[in-house]
Amino acid sequence: MKTLFVNRIHRVSIPIIITCLLVGVMLAGCAPAATPPAATDNTSAQGTAFPITPGTPRFKIATTTSLYDTGLWNYLEPMFEKKANVRLDIVYAGTGAALEYGRRGDVDALVVHDPEAEAQFIADGYGINKRSFAFNHFLIAGPVGDPAGIKGLTPEQAFKKIYDAGIADPSKVKFISRGDNSGTHSKEKLIWQAAGLKYADVEKSGPWYVEAGKGMGPCLLMASEQGAYILADISTFLAYKGKVNVAPLVEKGDLFLNVYDVIAINPDKIKTAKMLPTANTFINWLMSDDVQNIIATYGVAEYGKPLFNPLKGGGCTEPGCPKLEDYTVPVK
Amino acid sequence: MAILQTVDLEQRAGAAVLLNKVNLSVEKGEIFAVIGPTGAGKTTLLRLINLLDHPSAGDIYFDGDKITDPSCNAIQVRRRMAMVFQKPAVFNSTVYENVAYPLKIRGRHGKTDRSTVSGLLDTIGLGGYARRKAKTLSGGEAQRVALARAVVIKPDLLLLDEPTANLDPGTVKMIERLVMEFNWDSGMTVIMSTHDMQQAQRVAHRVGVLMNGQLVQVGRPHDIFYSPDNARIAGFVGVHNLLKGNIKRSESGIAVVDVNGKDIQAVSDLPSGSAVEIYIGPEDVVLSKLQSDGSARNNLRCTIRSLSSNGPLCTVTADCGFPLEVLVTDRSAVEMELRPGKEMYASFKAAAVRVLPSMQR
Amino acid sequence: MQEIWQALVQAVNLIVTLDPEVIQISLRSLYVSASSILIAALFCVPIGGLIHFHDFRGKRVVINVIQTFYSLPTVVVGLLVFLFISRSGPLGGLELLFTPAAIIIGQVILIMPVLTGMTIGALSGVDKSIRDTALSSGASNTQAMQAILFEARFAVVGALILGFGRAISEVGAALMLGGNIRGYTRVLTTAISLETQRGDIVLSLALGIILIGIAMVVSVITNILLQRY
Repeated sequence: MKTLFVNRIHRVSIPIIITCLLVGVMLAGCAPAATPPAATDNTSAQGTAFPITPGTPRFKIATTTSLYDTGLWNYLEPMFEKKANVRLDIVYAGTGAALEYGRRGDVDALVVHDPEAEAQFIADGYGINKRSFAFNHFLIAGPVGDPAGIKGLTPEQAFKKIYDAGIADPSKVKFISRGDNSGTHSKEKLIWQAAGLKYADVEKSGPWYVEAGKGMGPCLLMASEQGAYILADISTFLAYKGKVNVAPLVEKGDLFLNVYDVIAINPDKIKTAKMLPTANTFINWLMSDDVQNIIATYGVAEYGKPLFNPLKGGGCTEPGCPKLEDYTVPVK
Repeated sequence: MAILQTVDLEQRAGAAVLLNKVNLSVEKGEIFAVIGPTGAGKTTLLRLINLLDHPSAGDIYFDGDKITDPSCNAIQVRRRMAMVFQKPAVFNSTVYENVAYPLKIRGRHGKTDRSTVSGLLDTIGLGGYARRKAKTLSGGEAQRVALARAVVIKPDLLLLDEPTANLDPGTVKMIERLVMEFNWDSGMTVIMSTHDMQQAQRVAHRVGVLMNGQLVQVGRPHDIFYSPDNARIAGFVGVHNLLKGNIKRSESGIAVVDVNGKDIQAVSDLPSGSAVEIYIGPEDVVLSKLQSDGSARNNLRCTIRSLSSNGPLCTVTADCGFPLEVLVTDRSAVEMELRPGKEMYASFKAAAVRVLPSMQR
Repeated sequence: MQEIWQALVQAVNLIVTLDPEVIQISLRSLYVSASSILIAALFCVPIGGLIHFHDFRGKRVVINVIQTFYSLPTVVVGLLVFLFISRSGPLGGLELLFTPAAIIIGQVILIMPVLTGMTIGALSGVDKSIRDTALSSGASNTQAMQAILFEARFAVVGALILGFGRAISEVGAALMLGGNIRGYTRVLTTAISLETQRGDIVLSLALGIILIGIAMVVSVITNILLQRY
């Protein structure tokens, strides 16, 4: 009767096989791989305290949602990984969260678009080597029928009108705010200010003002569904055009300038940030002709015009544009 | 040679005394039955012997070693014993694996071991059941498996705790037969607890009566049944015609006992005035139409109350001033034309009447 | 409603065409959750056994506390672990944040209460007589415990499947600790979360269907293996 014996073999061997499989998978994932992410890529963290086998170093950046939602990073990521021979990890976060990650040293560089917050960040010593590498504009979009009648106005005027109309009849006129301390949200606050309104008042003034707490793309979807007005950057707007039912209503205004900056985390302040050289490479690379050319054409095929504008070549001429050295001088 | 001995064994649970100074001695190779009513302490006693519980006081000696000593290796001791519990307990695996379990935990997986298990399955009548899930067995089948599991390692001592309680008569018989066979074939000592005196009579070499935690009598089944030490034991072992009375007078070893106003002569040295309980074996009473003048000292006039046939025998219940059970053959009952209401004479010798001092029940 | 049908179609399509990104994400989900359950089981089944087999003061309290933690919110666990493994946290030097290892840590913490509590429950369900039977057959204490564990095996495996399910389906900790990094820490749940946010309902549902499919396959295979023994 071989039942007992065979059972014993099974009982011992199956767990062993499973364990071997798992160990095999883990080790396979840890083998150094210079190629961009493939299947089962499970390399553990950079070659310092923890890893099983040292893998390719990992360079982490936090990026704003508007850059992410347009898919630009999907395009740029493999390029940078090849160039710098690192793994580029992109964490999707609003400007507020990105800055927090930066302060904690959990990322090595930030790509954001909130000049005031960035200035504070750098003044506090967390960030260094800030450069700008792209720009685009905001616009105010809204329901095709334009119930508040803002078409053609300046941004401040439009906002004031929306405010009055929204308070008067919130069922007809609504505004979707990012409400998440993102770059877009900061810009929105600036426009309210320029319109002569205190933001604290706007926030509490009625059900017409909706704080979504989501990324740019999702907020556009929300605006589309609710027939609301929204401040959006043009690139995300174009990328979502097919999915949403809002029309661009106000497209011109100084306040609409939106510049994308990249900042490295300062290793002097954050002892755990060790990727400064890679960060510098990254910053310079964003300013390089290769990337600037890509930015110049990204989205043209699909949307008719590029989603972002390169700074190189003096493309930005309006007031508020970064100074030449901010987008051309390489960092060391 | 005593393979198992308990010395002043005591077990308490809180204020309750479960075993009270039990001194038991079991000979190697015998089947020893511990009988007693429910709650007498039988299970407690067996569990202590198997070292599943610790005694509050006293010692147990197994094959000369003091196994209640803290330095003693309980696992090694238990490996020389095996126990079958009242409720059939099987593991949730196949019948084969159940029976093979004691071998498995001793690291024995050899070919001979495997054939031992198969052979044992045949012996207990479950030959084709090896792959069956043990949980699907009936109570009787499961208990047989438990028994096989117990004997597969040929223990020196087999403990059985009311193994046939709640089982059908066919299985009861089979298990009794198996136990006796195992004992006969391999000489393994068996200590079996039961509340059934008949079972003890069928199976055991010696019997110990456990009542209220005390071992009150030990002897051959015959001795217990026919010479119980006291009325309580007598009541338990199920003697018939247990009657209360008083000794009116006593001389030269013959006492006259007053039972319900009737005089009964019995053999006893107890002094007159003693409150006693007597019992008379139903098979020792002779019924006749006429008052007999044979050697029997007791001759009572009785009225038959009821008759009940058991195969070739007939139990007659009569009113002789007190209830008396008489055993006659069916044929005699027919010949004497016994029927309820008929008047007969019942006679029995003084020696057939056992006298025990009355006790607090 | 139409979306659900579309999602089903898309799910099948993604599987059949072996879409590389989906395969990668799915395998990662499987890897992370399987690791979590194995690591957690290594601790929790013995600890559950210890708690069950020993009587001590406050045992009831301990069991109650364990059961309370069944409902640990995933995002809270994520947040707490984040504070520890962030580069500015006490374990920052280990560089664990935004790695699959971080997700595993979070999930292990999440499922430990469930695994421990249900192991205790499984063992409690075993008849007391099994222990006596094992001991009187000559088992050592360890062997007796193994016998009891074996009797409880179906319930214990049930607990493991439950733990695995909780791990593979949670989002909060995976998001906070993994960062949902494409090609590195993106798992099915965080991908679903992202696609939902972006408005791609159909893709989200499709990924969800794949997730359920994986869970079902795991459960079925586990049960088949168990039936054999």
